[in-house]
Amino acid sequence: MTGQDNNGPDTSGIPGSGEGAGTHPRASSGSPQEICPLTAGESIIRIDHITKVFSDRNRTVIAVDDVTFDVKRGEIFGLLGPNGAGKSTLIRILTTLLSQTSGTACVNTFDIKKDPEKIRGIIGVCPQNSTLDVELTAYDNLEFYGKLVNVDDSILTRRIHELLAMADLSDRALMPVSSFSGGMRRKLEIVRAFIHHPLILFLDEPTIGLDPESRREVWQQIVRLNDENTTIILTTHYMDEAEKLCNRIAFVDKGRLISLDTIDNLKKLIPTGDIIEIGCEADTGALATTITTLPQVTSAQARKQKLVVTARDGSRVIPEIFALFAKQGIAITSFSVRPPSLEDVFIYLTGRKLDDGSTEPAMRNARGGRR
Amino acid sequence: MIRGAIAIFRRDFKKFISNPFVIVFTLVMPIMYLVIFGNAMGGTITHIPIGVVQETPPYNDTPLFTAGTAMLRHYAQPGDPRLFDVTVYTSEDRAKRALEDGKIAGVVVFPAEVSSDHAVRLYVDSSDYMTPTLVQAGVTGSLRAIGSDNAVLINKIYGDITYIQFFGVGVIVMAIFMTTMMGGGIALIKDREMGIHEGYLVTPVKRTSIILGMIMSGTVRATLSGFIIFVVGVLITGVIVRGFADFFLAVLVIIIASVGVTSLMVSIASRFNNQQEYASTTAFFNLILFMTSGAFYPTIGMPDWLRWITVINPEWYSVHALRSIILRGQGLSVIMPDLIALLVFSSAAIMLGITTYRRTLE
Repeated sequence: MTGQDNNGPDTSGIPGSGEGAGTHPRASSGSPQEICPLTAGESIIRIDHITKVFSDRNRTVIAVDDVTFDVKRGEIFGLLGPNGAGKSTLIRILTTLLSQTSGTACVNTFDIKKDPEKIRGIIGVCPQNSTLDVELTAYDNLEFYGKLVNVDDSILTRRIHELLAMADLSDRALMPVSSFSGGMRRKLEIVRAFIHHPLILFLDEPTIGLDPESRREVWQQIVRLNDENTTIILTTHYMDEAEKLCNRIAFVDKGRLISLDTIDNLKKLIPTGDIIEIGCEADTGALATTITTLPQVTSAQARKQKLVVTARDGSRVIPEIFALFAKQGIAITSFSVRPPSLEDVFIYLTGRKLDDGSTEPAMRNARGGRR
Repeated sequence: MIRGAIAIFRRDFKKFISNPFVIVFTLVMPIMYLVIFGNAMGGTITHIPIGVVQETPPYNDTPLFTAGTAMLRHYAQPGDPRLFDVTVYTSEDRAKRALEDGKIAGVVVFPAEVSSDHAVRLYVDSSDYMTPTLVQAGVTGSLRAIGSDNAVLINKIYGDITYIQFFGVGVIVMAIFMTTMMGGGIALIKDREMGIHEGYLVTPVKRTSIILGMIMSGTVRATLSGFIIFVVGVLITGVIVRGFADFFLAVLVIIIASVGVTSLMVSIASRFNNQQEYASTTAFFNLILFMTSGAFYPTIGMPDWLRWITVINPEWYSVHALRSIILRGQGLSVIMPDLIALLVFSSAAIMLGITTYRRTLE
């Protein structure tokens, strides 16, 4: 893993609550940006007040709504949000597939509007919907793509075999992709995006629709690619994926940036703190009231054969709770302390569950319209 | 059972209604067929350009020449405009050259001696369909009308050419069109639907490269099919290709025509992302371009408005060039204008394709 700093909100990220998401610490200085200020600094992508509006005769959809943030060199950056939150649209803007309605963005010293060609040379993209040619073999797919991205012919063959080995597909190199399973296709597509050693790799929902085993393999691959100093930006609506892979996470919902920080810092946002569950046989109604009076405890609820307590810095409260149980003479049958999950954070920030896909603005629709 | 059937009916019908483009096209097509096919095939052939010339000596016009020319100028079937546009030539050689270059459809040579035992000689461009017969009938009719009983000697300058040979040449162009429009275009749109184009767009490959690559592959495919139909057509129709020079010239025309039609297809297909819409549009283009190409029926029989389409129709130039080579054995000098027109058309189509191909999604 690359350097991950846990010490408080940093300057380039958006600290804490959603309200702060509109201002950029450095962008406001001076005239409208003449050239992208990113050189060898720590940021590799800077997004500045990007907005994207899709409109057709019937309606207007704001897919990305005034989003501003930076991505640091070498990190795995997660864009997390429900379906239709605007993650893919943002990725498409950064990969020059769509042009923004307003705002600017820079990808490693290049402005996405002025130098799209140069950006395409330094990025690798693995879109949500497969762009593999299923009628061609794995080898042919890699070779074709390698030529499109200007991989030198003298090293191309070696590189292809390297990638096939990386994706565990060496023995299927000469089989058509149509005979591959979903996981194999995904792995092939991810290594294909990496064929020219891009500085930045964009992965749009890399594990959607894969079985647990394939997901784990894809994750391993992503970590391996990140170890080669590639900055990785991935979108996902899976909590576990983001939690496992990402150094920093941006929560996106309804086109807006809700919050951006490291996972640990995000979890500190929840004021109720860690969740402690204590199993016991007896009735704990009275005990719950007593526990609530402890200074760090934010709530205590007696449920069937179980007491659920939330407390800041949960593990420090445990001795006191145990002492109270002992005083009452109630036997503890089990207990667990867990920090709030990302899902809890998301629900806390938006009041909605992540998998709740009901807010899908018809982005596929807008994309599929008359070109 | 009924419930399921109705559900499927409703779903299909909803999709049908939701695509007005296809609805309009399916309704417009039969009407277009009526108008274009009807006019292209059924028109009366009039104003056929022919030349008249007086054998020399004498250097003064004979009465037969004067009367015959006047009659030919006014000859018409009842109710129709006049049949011929007559040009008077001063020498037989010059008239014949004009005939060989395809500027006129026939030459009437009046004899120097007025006596009835000297025949009127008629040279016709037999590579065309319908016009030779009409010219022949018109000339004999005119002579009879002025009371001349001179015999008419008919000379078909390209020998007897049957309709299948006339049409066979058009089929080569049809093969090129079908391969690109139906095969190539649908494949291109399918690639786009499968997201393969989205894959191109995130790589540094240039828009020009994308278009040129697609045109190149399409051209090779179209050339192959045109070539195969050319060879098969020669065998089936029994046309005699006069030599290697003609053979290679025909292949050259096939290649250039393939570039033109493929470029047109790529520039159209890169605007569509729906196979149905594309197929409708293609059927429309196929109708217009093929009907006015002269492959079926001489364009001289078409109404003027339809004949204007032939001016911008690459298929017309292709058919004309191939017919000149294969049926008439004419060389580069005659087909040069066709080749230039095809090249201009191809360049325009390539430019259109490159400028309209979108480098982004949306």
